[in-house]
Amino acid sequence: MKETRLGGAFVVFGFMLVIFFPAINHAWSAQEEKLSAGFAWKDGAEIYAKICAYCHEAQVGPPIRNRELPISYIRTIVRNGNRAMPSFRSSEIDDESLTKLADFISKTEAQH
Amino acid sequence: MTSKYIALPKSVTEKVFDAAINDFRSVLGDAAVLISAEQLAPYIKTMMPVSDAEHAPSAALLATTVEQIQKIVGICNRYKVPIWTISTGKNLGYGSAAPAERGQVVLDLKRMNRILEVDKDLAFALVEPGVTYQQLDDYIKEHKLGLWLSMPAPSAIAGPVGNTLDRGVGYTPYGEHFLFACGMEVVLANGEVLRTGMGSMPNSNTWQVFKWGYGPYLDGIFTQSNYGIVTKFGFWLMPEPPAFKPFVIQYEYEEDIVEIVETIRPLRISGVIPNAVVIAHALYEAPVKARRSDYVSGPGSIPDEAVYRIMKDHKLGIWNVYAALYGTQEQIDVNWKIVTQAFGRSGKAKILTEQEAAEDPAFVYRAKLMRGEMTLTEFSLYNWRGGGGSMWFAPVSQARGSETLKQMALTKQILAKYGLDYSGEFIVGMRDMHHIVDVLYDKTDPEQTKAAYQCFDELLTEFSARGYGTYRVNTAFMDKVAETYGPVQRNVHKTLKKALDPNGILAPGKSGIR
Ligand SMILES: Cc1cc2nc3c(=O)[nH]c(=O)nc-3n(C[C@H](O)[C@H](O)[C@H](O)COP(=O)(O)OP(=O)(O)OC[C@H]3O[C@@H](n4cnc5c(N)ncnc54)[C@H](O)[C@@H]3O)c2cc1C
Repeated sequence: MKETRLGGAFVVFGFMLVIFFPAINHAWSAQEEKLSAGFAWKDGAEIYAKICAYCHEAQVGPPIRNRELPISYIRTIVRNGNRAMPSFRSSEIDDESLTKLADFISKTEAQH
Repeated sequence: MTSKYIALPKSVTEKVFDAAINDFRSVLGDAAVLISAEQLAPYIKTMMPVSDAEHAPSAALLATTVEQIQKIVGICNRYKVPIWTISTGKNLGYGSAAPAERGQVVLDLKRMNRILEVDKDLAFALVEPGVTYQQLDDYIKEHKLGLWLSMPAPSAIAGPVGNTLDRGVGYTPYGEHFLFACGMEVVLANGEVLRTGMGSMPNSNTWQVFKWGYGPYLDGIFTQSNYGIVTKFGFWLMPEPPAFKPFVIQYEYEEDIVEIVETIRPLRISGVIPNAVVIAHALYEAPVKARRSDYVSGPGSIPDEAVYRIMKDHKLGIWNVYAALYGTQEQIDVNWKIVTQAFGRSGKAKILTEQEAAEDPAFVYRAKLMRGEMTLTEFSLYNWRGGGGSMWFAPVSQARGSETLKQMALTKQILAKYGLDYSGEFIVGMRDMHHIVDVLYDKTDPEQTKAAYQCFDELLTEFSARGYGTYRVNTAFMDKVAETYGPVQRNVHKTLKKALDPNGILAPGKSGIR
């Protein structure tokens, strides 16, 4: 992931919007962190375990695995929520990961 | 003519908004600027008893860097477009991820989610807004740091930045979260980047260890407010104790809340019980074990007689006091003696530990919350009524038995008038108790939705008339609550707003501030 720097690109921008940025603070540009990348999901199983399972494997929400729920239905419910189930944004579960999650939930396989 | 937007910001024409969206796209790229109904659907669902359309955003921006956010506020100033910032966006029962006012652009920082530092020795973390408790917990475990989190009941899917900025709470000894916040980085409306406290000094290494810095302490004004966009957030973590002993104390009668609070207050203030305790009513715990429809049907609130049957059937007290001891085994043994003596005195209390209650699902999830372990079991609350309607009614009470009883009775009476149940608890404090009531209703039922709205309104009116203030509220009632704190505070809030954000681009309406 790109590191935060208030360098070149920003100077150009600051020039454009100088009226709105009377005193741009560059104090932190020199000491920005050397950082790890942001978070990314590994696969559908991980998302299931770290979000869905807390309710759907805990008698809070209904079981959803191994029921051959249609992928499109799963996607819709995740994005829109359903009654008390919260909706999940693409910033939380990106579209690609949602496809993997839906696939994981819908396909029938012996649980281990 | 149909618009390409599902909503527009107040007083902004479509043409002006087009220009703003174009500029946002040039900063973030097309994929990170969401405007279609499908993309915005997750931002629209709320649990409040008002039409979701009233809180529909015009767009959502997925920013990942401070630099992008600085540019975004520049664009907002230019076009007078308001933005509503969320971090992990799970403010469920307080407005969820939807903005306070229709047409505001959601600035969604969920993807700005790096764990910048976790210091094992000094036991602190510095994180970006999108970090969830789950992510941080995984990181701590993976690196064997031996630190515990304190988190709210939606744990895994919520995060420390959003929760603490809304002055949320958890259940460990660090449960009053803002007490343990230490240092913020804030993008101001004019694009400047402020680091609070010791962070203002270049090269300082004490940003996350000393809260106050020099001069007026500023961190507080960025909580429950709209004076800045927090982009980094420091807070303290609790070293894992060598031993942990969760317990529950059950009482049989509602009036016993007096004895409970009188007994627990000295233990909390002296630190014998170190954690943010919970005194949960049977109806708060019941949904983990029981179904409402097995006990009542038809309209109206649940009768006391049915509540007593639930208690008996499911081994609940009418009050269930969850607390824990932390430390070495020796420390715990000493404090356990003090606790059991104090609660044993009247003969009314039933004291249970893991030995007796290890299989009890309510005890299990409460014990997890008290040691910062992920669980979403409390979402069972929503199976009680069904239909996904919820508002947290959250007045503050003195930690004095007579006061908690008065608040409970008044709440129950007003809820009953509207056919709603008292799903309440008292939590957290030493000298205060947050009285937290989940006003549960079926949002698919228009009549019940209307009743819930009126009920909540009356709760706020009646409580404030008696001098009971609310600590936090959903976005539909923020103005009403701001009003209850009087004109002088409102004016000061407004004066600060004008000084820090003259164009009013940051979250207009938050806490009633514009
Ligand atoms: C069953 C259930 C139980 C709950 N239990 C608890 C509980 O125990 N304790 C508790 O506190 N809450 C509880 N909640 C309420 C809520 O879900 C949590 O407080 C949750 O942590 C808030 O969501 P979040 O952490 O994703 O914060 P967000 O939604 O990201 O943020 C909350 C608010 O803070 C402000 N904000 C966020 N980020 C920024 C930023 N970067 N800069 C400036 N302002 C910002 C915004 O006004 C935003 O609306 C519960 C909810 C449910 C459904």
